[in-house]
Amino acid sequence: MIELKDVSYTYPHTVQEALHRLSLVLAPGRCIMVTGPSGAGKTTLCLAACGILCHEYGGKKAGLVTINGRNVADYTGLSEIAKNIGIVFDDAEAQMIFTTVEEEILSALEYRGLSCEEIEKRLASIMEVTYLTALRDRSPHNLSGGQKQRVALAATLALGNDVLILDEPTSELDEHATRRIVEILSGLKGQGKTILIVEHKYAHFRDMVDTLVVMEHGAISAVGAPEDVLRDERIRKIVIPDFAGIKTRAPLPEPAPSERAAATPAIEVRHLSYSYDEVPALHDVCIRVNAGEFVAVVGENGSGKTTLVKQFNRLLTPTTGDVEILGRNTRDCTIADLAHDVGLVFQNPDHMFFADTVRDEIAFGLENLGITDTDAVIDAALDEVGLLPTKTLYPRWLSRGERQRLAIACVVAMQPPIIVLDEPTTGLDGDEARLVMEILKKLQVQGHTIVVITHNRDIAQYCADRMITMEQGRVISDART
Amino acid sequence: MAEILQYVHKDGFFHRLHPFSKILFIIVASVMCVLATGIPFLILMVAALLILAYASHLHREVIQQLRLVLVMSVVFVIITVLTMPNGATLGYLVPQGVPAIGGSLPITVGAIGIGLVLALRFMVLIFAFQLFLISTQPRDLVHSMEKLHMPIDYILMFIIALRFIPTLQIEGRRIHEAQLARGYNPGSGMIGKIKSVAPIVIPLVSNALLRSNVLGLTIDMRGYRTGIRTQVRERRLGTGDYAMMSGLAVTIVSFVIIAIFASGLIF
Repeated sequence: MIELKDVSYTYPHTVQEALHRLSLVLAPGRCIMVTGPSGAGKTTLCLAACGILCHEYGGKKAGLVTINGRNVADYTGLSEIAKNIGIVFDDAEAQMIFTTVEEEILSALEYRGLSCEEIEKRLASIMEVTYLTALRDRSPHNLSGGQKQRVALAATLALGNDVLILDEPTSELDEHATRRIVEILSGLKGQGKTILIVEHKYAHFRDMVDTLVVMEHGAISAVGAPEDVLRDERIRKIVIPDFAGIKTRAPLPEPAPSERAAATPAIEVRHLSYSYDEVPALHDVCIRVNAGEFVAVVGENGSGKTTLVKQFNRLLTPTTGDVEILGRNTRDCTIADLAHDVGLVFQNPDHMFFADTVRDEIAFGLENLGITDTDAVIDAALDEVGLLPTKTLYPRWLSRGERQRLAIACVVAMQPPIIVLDEPTTGLDGDEARLVMEILKKLQVQGHTIVVITHNRDIAQYCADRMITMEQGRVISDART
Repeated sequence: MAEILQYVHKDGFFHRLHPFSKILFIIVASVMCVLATGIPFLILMVAALLILAYASHLHREVIQQLRLVLVMSVVFVIITVLTMPNGATLGYLVPQGVPAIGGSLPITVGAIGIGLVLALRFMVLIFAFQLFLISTQPRDLVHSMEKLHMPIDYILMFIIALRFIPTLQIEGRRIHEAQLARGYNPGSGMIGKIKSVAPIVIPLVSNALLRSNVLGLTIDMRGYRTGIRTQVRERRLGTGDYAMMSGLAVTIVSFVIIAIFASGLIF
């Protein structure tokens, strides 16, 4: 059992409390799901609950954390705590230490004091349960984000601890893979394991959650049985994304066939195939996106969605077939040329931030395109995404949701007619996800063509005009929503 | 994308060797190439390593690094020519006809010789270490180092340093793509590379620091630092290891004999 009593914590060199007088009991065999906006203190709660804050972090600490009735400070260190608690962090890539999937899990098992037979038995069982047997000899670094999350979970499950703390273990997983993880965790709960999970996908976990905790500004704003907590409408919107009403604009009329042939499409993909070295990723893809459309591209991890959109600005060049952007074949353009027409927002906004202020971060793209008089453009872009007050802040100090919106502002300021976003709601709570989608809808109304890659079919259903579904590198359906 | 200096899952001669045999192999190769100054001998060593790579089905991985190794070798030769003029002059980098500075920066036979020796030593070291690293799982490396009574923290530091290479490689590529999508065109060549430093390196370092924190915590929470390990799937010395050790013994003895009686072949 883990108990937190009146726990407050302030990170070194900061003044604002990351946790404020937080009390919570994680009873044996129970499952607590913690959710809330980015920057609410969910990850800090995980670090506090497993003693990492106490043993590894500086900063101001107050309150008491006990594990199995013993103060965490009385444990000799994390190695001793690790005998009781297993934790999966939100960054799956950072938890890949070894060079094959099997080695990653086997190495975790070697330090548990088990016999060789037990180790082999548990290794086989964990690989089977987490559906990793087929990936046994693969390098973890070359797996998809979702597969890496499964490997990180498997290595922690291998430890056989009774308490599991999981920080967004399904953030990069598609619907199918998320259901697999829910199945695994439900099974573990059935075996009596205690689970603390930070998640934004309440709908998937609702059947296994005993207690729902909603955090805001470092404190618990709601806690209790899920049905009780969700009675509060404001809290409900944080927990369950509600995209209803975003698609208020009347859908674009279906153009007549003759009209369709005449109009220059924003994006025209003709018989596109692409292979990474010798591994095929796209097969004979044909898509036409008209100017001003809002298109959602959905599909499971590894179905080729990101590979497809990288062709739009020539980060990748078709192996065979053609891609035309506003009537120009990408083969005849450079990436720099296409940056004027296509803005691409990647899944992880931290891959782009390097400037000292939010303002300078946006100015970088503008200078690259030779746009002068940047101040007015920057202010307008920041206003568009609701970040004007953060103009002078260091980009990496912003919360995950704010960083995502800043990434959108960086692209919006460059005023490309086509804006492509790869999983723009990853790691965001319901309110933040809705805010991002409202911004995109507003941009569509202003005349931009929007293409969104997502695992979330609600986004496709409630926000997009069209949904393109991909599977194993092929478009298997393309329909109006 | 091929990962630099990372284990490759294959079943070849080198993969089947015990890590101790491979450690012995790189020690012998390193010492011999540092002692030797004869260009033909060093070329022979490079050729022997390439043959060994081919026999172990690792030639593809070794050849992938060949371009980088050749570029570095050319750099070595150029630096040596510029900084260590020695022996007969073959010509000048600045033609003698140029007023005032004509005839400076001589290209000398001695400097080219030293440059070639350095380049060949570099090739031997890179190929030997590459063969060792791409055929040895880090887990086996940890076990071998533990048996040599190295402190676990140093072993883990070594493993982490190796493990960060592909992370930085993949992360660097993603950041590069993200900046290119924002219209960044640093240009090609050395000046382009220098210009691209801030937008690539700052996010790379910031993200790597965050990652290293999570990695350190993962190592602790998986109990790797407890040092109490069940010896599962331990490697034992086999026929290949005895063959390798015999080969190394013959090589060492031959090296010493040649060094004494026909030193011109090596030095």
